[in-house]
Amino acid sequence: MPTLFDDQMSQAMTLSAFNARIKKNINNQADLQYQWVQAETSDVQVRRGHCYMELIEKNPDTGATVAKTQAVAWASVFAALNAKFHHVTGQQFASGMKVMVCVSANFHEQYGLKLVVTDIYPEFTLGDMERQRREILDRLAREGVIDMNKTLPWPLVPQRIAVISAAGAAGYGDFMNQLAHNAYGLQFYTCLFTAMMQGANTVPSVLAALDRINAHIDLFDCVVVIRGGGATSDLNSFDNYDLAAVIAQFPIPVIVGIGHERDVTVLDYVASVRVKTPTAAAELLIQRGTDALSHLTDLSNAIVASAREMLAHSREQLAYYSSLLPAAARRVLDTSRLRLEGYARTIPLTVAGRIATERTHLQHHGERVVVAAGQHMERQRLRLEALSDKVELLSPRNILNRGYSLTMCHGRYITSADQLNPGDTITVHLKQGRARAIVAESKC
Amino acid sequence: MEEQELTYTQAVTELEDLVKKMQDPECSIDNLSEYTKRSKELLDVCRKRLTATDEALKTILQDIEGAQ
Repeated sequence: MPTLFDDQMSQAMTLSAFNARIKKNINNQADLQYQWVQAETSDVQVRRGHCYMELIEKNPDTGATVAKTQAVAWASVFAALNAKFHHVTGQQFASGMKVMVCVSANFHEQYGLKLVVTDIYPEFTLGDMERQRREILDRLAREGVIDMNKTLPWPLVPQRIAVISAAGAAGYGDFMNQLAHNAYGLQFYTCLFTAMMQGANTVPSVLAALDRINAHIDLFDCVVVIRGGGATSDLNSFDNYDLAAVIAQFPIPVIVGIGHERDVTVLDYVASVRVKTPTAAAELLIQRGTDALSHLTDLSNAIVASAREMLAHSREQLAYYSSLLPAAARRVLDTSRLRLEGYARTIPLTVAGRIATERTHLQHHGERVVVAAGQHMERQRLRLEALSDKVELLSPRNILNRGYSLTMCHGRYITSADQLNPGDTITVHLKQGRARAIVAESKC
Repeated sequence: MEEQELTYTQAVTELEDLVKKMQDPECSIDNLSEYTKRSKELLDVCRKRLTATDEALKTILQDIEGAQ
């Protein structure tokens, strides 16, 4: 009699048989085959031409992973798929990308469930990258910083250059070579601030390099951020708000040369200058130097030309004046002689005229003096006559004639009774003779 | 000594100014010698700044690079 345990034993199947059953169910399920799926790539690794990855979905609000499945693009399709992807997006297929892929669920007894990627729609990724970029740029514009680095004035000749690059990068070598061997003998002073230019640490690493440059900011005219020369790898990390914001607000102009022709990142929009390659960055700096040199040559030529012109002009002026001199001298002499002759003629006439005038004046004055003297004499005579009549009228004799008398006592004229005392002898003068009398009484 | 303190921009600005003065028809020939002499000095300063090596600056930058 078999026990329950034995019964279960007999019913239990091998894992491989069970997995075979899963496989049969999954692999033959039509709606699990060739289905287009939106997902984000993670942990992308290429081994022996096969591309292994995880496809994940994150909660857009929290960022928490809500779905995750292993996936693979077999080498037979991956080469074509990656080429197509690169052609459209300008990027290698890599981690951290939003993708739209055609997948088939495939279960293997030994390896478990995998989604087999058979096709990709790169425009979806491009659109997503573009949307991210647009969001970052919109935010920078809203914050008013997007054009700050672009509008910084450049020094006339940027010679002191802070370089951000990976230390051994081919692009850095190209840049340094180009600067050092410029054909014009221009001097450049570079200082390398190393940073990782790809991978997950790119942003913090470049930010740290910018920070180190900022500590010595007075020593530099500009910053050059370069990468490239080797294989194009993902530029996704450069589409980063924090990095773009720091570059936009960096106090000296920044040249960005991190991609190739088709790769555009937000840094290209905020940097003072965008160039395609490190070599182009060097050429740009050399160009500024040669512009300055040719400006100096222009100035030098202008100075020589001006000096020559001034000398020629002065010489011409001198020749002109020296040609004028004899004629001018003759004219001065002639004028002087004429003026002199004029004077000589005028002087006697002037003198005679003057004497005649003065004589007339004199005569006239003489006559006026005589007349005035006569008039004065007559006035005095009339005045005298008037006075003499007055004197006559007021004379004492005239008064006595009219019956008045003049009283004197002790030789003084008496005009008041209180001048006299009884018994005084007074003399009274009359018109005819005088009389002596004695005062009987005096009263006022 | 004075030239050492001039920046490239200052030197070029002074040069441009001198050229303008010399091109002015009112410019007196009495100033010609002074102006050309000064121009030559300034041109030398500018050319030197572009092409001669500033060893002191080079050393400072090497030190900064080495300190990383």
